[in-house]
Amino acid sequence: MTKERGGSLLFLLVGIYGLIFSSQIPLGQWNDPGPGVLPLTLSILLFVSGILWFIAGKPKGGEKTGMDWRGIAKLVKTPFQIVLLSAAFVLGLTRVGFLLGTIIYLFLIFLWVCHFKLRVAIGLAIGLGIGSWLFFVKLLVIQLPAMGGWIF
Amino acid sequence: MDVINNLLNGFQTALTFQNIYLCFIGCLWGTIVGVLPGIGPMAGLTLLIPATFGMSPTGAMIMLAGIYYGAMYGGSTTSILMNIPGESASVVTCLDGYQMTRKGRGGAALFISAWGSWVGGTLSVIGLMLFAPFLGNFAMKFGPPEMFAVFMIAFILLGSLGRGSFFKTMPMVFIGLLIGTIGMDPLTGVLRFTHGINDLYDGIGFLPVAMGSLGISEVLLGTEESLVKIIHKVKLRELLPTREELRASWGPIFRGSGLGFVIGLLPGSAHVLSSFVSYTVEKRLAKNPEEFGTGRIEGVAGPETANNAATGGAMIPFMALGIPTGPTIAVMMIALLIHGVRPGPLFISEQPQIFWGLIASMYIGNIMLVILNLPLVGVFVNLLRVPFRILFPMILLISIAGTFSVNNSIFDLGILIAFGVVGYVFRKLEFDIAPGMLAMIIGPTMELAFRQSLMRSGGSFSIFLHSPIALTLITASFLLFCWNIYRGLRPQKALWEKALEEDEA
Repeated sequence: MTKERGGSLLFLLVGIYGLIFSSQIPLGQWNDPGPGVLPLTLSILLFVSGILWFIAGKPKGGEKTGMDWRGIAKLVKTPFQIVLLSAAFVLGLTRVGFLLGTIIYLFLIFLWVCHFKLRVAIGLAIGLGIGSWLFFVKLLVIQLPAMGGWIF
Repeated sequence: MDVINNLLNGFQTALTFQNIYLCFIGCLWGTIVGVLPGIGPMAGLTLLIPATFGMSPTGAMIMLAGIYYGAMYGGSTTSILMNIPGESASVVTCLDGYQMTRKGRGGAALFISAWGSWVGGTLSVIGLMLFAPFLGNFAMKFGPPEMFAVFMIAFILLGSLGRGSFFKTMPMVFIGLLIGTIGMDPLTGVLRFTHGINDLYDGIGFLPVAMGSLGISEVLLGTEESLVKIIHKVKLRELLPTREELRASWGPIFRGSGLGFVIGLLPGSAHVLSSFVSYTVEKRLAKNPEEFGTGRIEGVAGPETANNAATGGAMIPFMALGIPTGPTIAVMMIALLIHGVRPGPLFISEQPQIFWGLIASMYIGNIMLVILNLPLVGVFVNLLRVPFRILFPMILLISIAGTFSVNNSIFDLGILIAFGVVGYVFRKLEFDIAPGMLAMIIGPTMELAFRQSLMRSGGSFSIFLHSPIALTLITASFLLFCWNIYRGLRPQKALWEKALEEDEA
């Protein structure tokens, strides 16, 4: 699997999605083009691009064709952890509030992702969490979720 | 005379205490985000958009523009002192700037960089001041066919000038255009790709998509390698350059100003392209080109001037035509729209106090930035001592808080994270995301222009041929498209790409 083929699969995926759903949108007439014209055109172009890139992305002679899944897993481990924690932070933001949510989020990042020692992770999370709250809520006056009915 | 009178009125607006303060805050924050790798001007702008809600549109624009061109100044600091580009536009400065630091001439490199940035920035503001009103007046003759033709050539240029081949960039443009269709069609009210989700009725917000695919993906890429990045301690022995260095810098500075301004007019990665092109030009003109990459002052002066000069050029299509030429300018456009001001052909005539106040503030801001970036460079360098393991979670927090602050929407945060992953995947596959972002924001306007044109002509495509302006632009688009097809079928690296590879070898 080359990078070009990886990209081509994404284009094909988006193109097929677009073709399926844009066919449900009215195309209108020549003198009054409907809202479906552009999505349909783009979906076709993406589908064609996907096919062309799939063909062009054929591995060249001597190039490895297998995927090093272990290597990929090792490489994406940290980004995956970060995405997981960020998604959890976003989902829990309105439930626990910005201040507490940030402290927990930072603590887990510092401990699990950055491998700081426990005390260091706690100290950094509390310090930076409170600092962030002061910066965003008090200095920049950004409306961020508060926990329960408490107003921070 | 009109220009001078307008400029004087602009200074009257800009020289109020509040606007000077806002200009300073913008320049300071811009320098900080420029210095810190991982946080770009887009994140810096997004974060301060809510702070502008209580301000006048003029004050808001002054501050946000300050962040934009301030980041260009700040980005060179880390390139020169640490071989880490603070901004993508400062990548090429690493080649000779860092070598100068290793020779103990880091201070001189910083001085010339700031000096060149000031000259480039100031000259480009003069260009903006002279050309934007002219283009704006000219653009008032534009109807839907002409606007469609302008967008068409803008997209072809995006594909031509993006990183990677035309064939690699155009699918990204198509994806961006497709994302731009999500939501309620403005002409018929039909819902497109919303799948019953109320949050999608107004479409997907540009800010979470851009912050995610550019900002979050940058953090994810940075964390793939070791999280323990080494920060070198740097001593700045002498800040002032020698006479020879000053003499050698003048040519690159003036050439860089012209190049950067012209390239800034083009949509795409204007700042990156202008710095690379300037570097190539200086290398070609040098008596000893083999010395580039070993610490030549021309390799710092030209690119840094060009990337700052591109700011003025980039503002012209934005203000006069309503076409943002880069993701950061697109964020400024959104900020203006939030204040009820629409950039475009009528902007300069209907909102002269905003336009001329901004122009005047850019002169003031460029002076502030020279003061901030030279004597206070040691302060900014200390920011770089923050370990990456602590910095990247703060970047994530800034992105999340900034995105949430615009609409108070958890859905937007979901978009941010999702597009962070999408951006990460595409960047790993070496596809350039930025053209897609621009396509997303200007696509809806292009579609509207196209449909309105056909409605006017009763379905006849000849409406695009009857207008001389539209015909010229469409012909130019077609020729450029054919040239890109030819270039794509016979792959050849651009001269500036070859020059860069030679230096990196």
